[in-house]
Amino acid sequence: MDQSLTRNFCIIAHIDHGKSTLADRLIQMTGAMRGEEIRNQVMDSMELERERGITIKAKAIRLSYQPKDGQTYRLNLIDTPGHVDFSYEVSRTLAACEGAVLIIDATQGIQAQTLAHIYVAMERDLEIIPVLNKIDLPGAEPERVLDEIESVLGYDADAVLSISAKTGEGVSQVIEEIVRRVPHPKGSIQRPLRALIFDSHYDPYKGVMAYIRVVDGRVRKGSNLRLMEQGTQIEVLDVGCFIPETSPVDQLEAGDVGYIATGLKRVGDCRVGDTVTTASKGAEQALEGYRPAKPMVFAGFYPTEPGDYDDLRGAIEKLSLNDASFSFEPESSPLLGFGFRCGFLGLLHLDIVRERLEREFELALVVTAPSVRYAITRTDGKTLIITNPTDLPLPNEIEKLEEPWVSVSVVTPSKFIGALMELIMENDGVYKHTEYLGHQSLGDLGQRVKLDYDMPLRSILTTFYDQVKSRSQGYASMDYELQGYRESRLIKLDIWVNELLVDAFSRVVTPDKAHDIGKAMVNKLKEVIPRQLFKVPIQAAIGSKIVARADIPAKRKDVLAKCYGGDITRKRKLLEKQKAGKKRMKRLGNVEVPKEAFMDVVRLSL
Amino acid sequence: MILPDQLNRIMNAIRTLFDIAGKKTEVSLEANPGTIDEPYLAAIRQIGINRLSLGVQSLDDKTLVLLGRIHTADKARQAVRFARNSGFDNLSLDLIYGIPGQSLTDWQDTLKESVRLEPEHLSLYPLSLEDDVPLSGAIQNGELPAIDPDCTAEQYEAAEDYLAAEGYRHYEISNWAREDAECRHNTTYWQCEPYLGIGVAAHSYIDSHRQANTHDLDEYIRIYQLRELYQPEMVEEIAPETQLAEAIIMGLRLVKGIEFESMIDRFGIDVTDRYEREMDELIHWGLLESDGRSLRLTRRGRLLGNEVFWRFLPQ
Repeated sequence: MDQSLTRNFCIIAHIDHGKSTLADRLIQMTGAMRGEEIRNQVMDSMELERERGITIKAKAIRLSYQPKDGQTYRLNLIDTPGHVDFSYEVSRTLAACEGAVLIIDATQGIQAQTLAHIYVAMERDLEIIPVLNKIDLPGAEPERVLDEIESVLGYDADAVLSISAKTGEGVSQVIEEIVRRVPHPKGSIQRPLRALIFDSHYDPYKGVMAYIRVVDGRVRKGSNLRLMEQGTQIEVLDVGCFIPETSPVDQLEAGDVGYIATGLKRVGDCRVGDTVTTASKGAEQALEGYRPAKPMVFAGFYPTEPGDYDDLRGAIEKLSLNDASFSFEPESSPLLGFGFRCGFLGLLHLDIVRERLEREFELALVVTAPSVRYAITRTDGKTLIITNPTDLPLPNEIEKLEEPWVSVSVVTPSKFIGALMELIMENDGVYKHTEYLGHQSLGDLGQRVKLDYDMPLRSILTTFYDQVKSRSQGYASMDYELQGYRESRLIKLDIWVNELLVDAFSRVVTPDKAHDIGKAMVNKLKEVIPRQLFKVPIQAAIGSKIVARADIPAKRKDVLAKCYGGDITRKRKLLEKQKAGKKRMKRLGNVEVPKEAFMDVVRLSL
Repeated sequence: MILPDQLNRIMNAIRTLFDIAGKKTEVSLEANPGTIDEPYLAAIRQIGINRLSLGVQSLDDKTLVLLGRIHTADKARQAVRFARNSGFDNLSLDLIYGIPGQSLTDWQDTLKESVRLEPEHLSLYPLSLEDDVPLSGAIQNGELPAIDPDCTAEQYEAAEDYLAAEGYRHYEISNWAREDAECRHNTTYWQCEPYLGIGVAAHSYIDSHRQANTHDLDEYIRIYQLRELYQPEMVEEIAPETQLAEAIIMGLRLVKGIEFESMIDRFGIDVTDRYEREMDELIHWGLLESDGRSLRLTRRGRLLGNEVFWRFLPQ
């Protein structure tokens, strides 16, 4: 196929602005499959994603378009993830494209995610086709939004197409614009193979399916390839594209987008962002790839029953086959036993993974706050690295305590500088500098600004990223780099439940926050722990010094129903239910606690 | 309301099928104080009803309104008088505590007044609410305070103390009686003895099977008119381990509890052995006590019965 007839593009948009609808329309209008089927089969392949209305995995569909000039164009639509947690995934999709259709909702105008993706698209020099969608809705304000587009993005109102993906109005023009304006790929079929892996997926029958964008050369079934950076050797079992169902082809060549079935067992063996080339006489220089996705949120995942550890490990490994952005490593806690410290792209990602583990793999999980590694120099000169707050020596044994620091940069519209600086300061950030990016002011959002701070790693581990997003209405983005260790004055805050030290709740905190954090945790526990057969004192302490306490009084009465001849079976069933409920509880010594209690305590945004 | 004449026909049928004459059989009727009068009570006493249970609930008019009852305190007292005049010498009153807004004193007043009416038997129940009753709604939107379990516990304990001082024997979690006035039909249930249920929605326990009749009156009539083979709405075979569990759980509702010997006789199981761990735990928590021959709920255990009961379910 002549590269000049190929167009590789994606659709970028804020959530619910009509990306899926437009995709369906395009697929429909180019003759590939009926609307409903595509949705269900290809674009959203996981039940959970469908429920939440978001897409996690990127996929590519080959469309055929025959305009009046008689040529047949090949349009490769590469799907992009819909949620802001996954914006790094968008950037890797964009690398496979030359153009992007940018959808803006005529009722809502430019939103946070729109901007985020535009920046990435601009950085990659993509041809952007702005499109105003939902013009059919009564609440549509095309003039206002076109004005906004002009002032914020700089696109002439006349250059913006007005469409309704729902009714189909204007969509054929979108296709024509794609053909007209998106540059065709310019690689060379003569040169040695270079193909960028922009996504992957594990198939039980074919092994890892790598989605590739071929830049130079060609690849066919049986080709022997290697990953240029990772080194993995691959024998191509199968080559194909999606129309939208998988469709094997003879070969993929320069300019094409499709998949290769590698037979590899682990997604990790076929790293996204790497370049594939032929095993022998391959290319010399790899294509520009990506940095691996950085986890932004960490948590400890433990099985509620220690006996389920192996099941949890198996489930996590299986899940990670298809989600390379989810990282994990073994961790342990004296109270909870063995588990994993997991890294996620955001709290939503954490929630999704947790739900999948619980639902698909039927695991009962405890999710805890994670910990950083501390470097201790003891008074006797010995040094040690600890991850568990419980391993922290007594204060009088510690000569020096150091913790890892990160340099954090937050890019935000200037409107939110105040709120974000406040957040960073609350989290022990040390200011470095502010840089204004570009010259353009984005309406009342102001100019784009980059804030650079140094922060302790522990500050950004849980809810920080989420708060960056919420304090900036989603417009800000964040990045961090590990920097090294610095000395800190930190102490261990312990939580005692019924005179038992619950190390799952122990935290390393700054002295000035100990009382507040302790009080909040104690109050939360009092709220979520049900009354027991005995009084339960709850205390927050630093060593032996109690900084907060609350008591849960003993239960005095349960539901005492009458029980006569007609009640016996029903009463017995209620008791059976009660008994079953006990099994699902976690025990802290003698205290029975529903597992949700742990999650609640951990999720305190402190 | 069932008429004396109808009741008479039922009694005659029973007399034909079962030998109840001269056996001091308890024939008990439950009645609503708001709907009975002296002629009615006299008539049913004549027919052979020898025990009357009145759903008094409270002797405070405001509380009766809150509970949605159609009678007043005066009507309740009057009903007791009618019963005595009609020759009932086995009278039981039902009372409710743990009502939102009901103080300890309020409850004690109702108790005192009730004892003054000299019933042979008292049944005391904490208020239990379904989600769809008006009272639940009133609590949810803040018109009434929520039920306070600690207050309810205090009310129960106060009743125990008071009724003991007044000479009533506390013989089951929710039931008190004078000498020889224990409710015999209920005792059958607590001792897991067999019973036959006749009528719409009636329950039976026969031959190790528990069953429930249809709750649909039309259905019931249809089956009996056609003399069809009866299919109960629910039937459950009670396996031996479940029978044991039920015997323990129901038996512990009686204040005297269960006797280990009798469990060995009935089931061949030594409870102290089979449930050694559970007993140790519950005795440790002060919910059960044992004297070596029998096992009983303690005062605290009576309030926290469910904590005891679920532990005796079959493994």
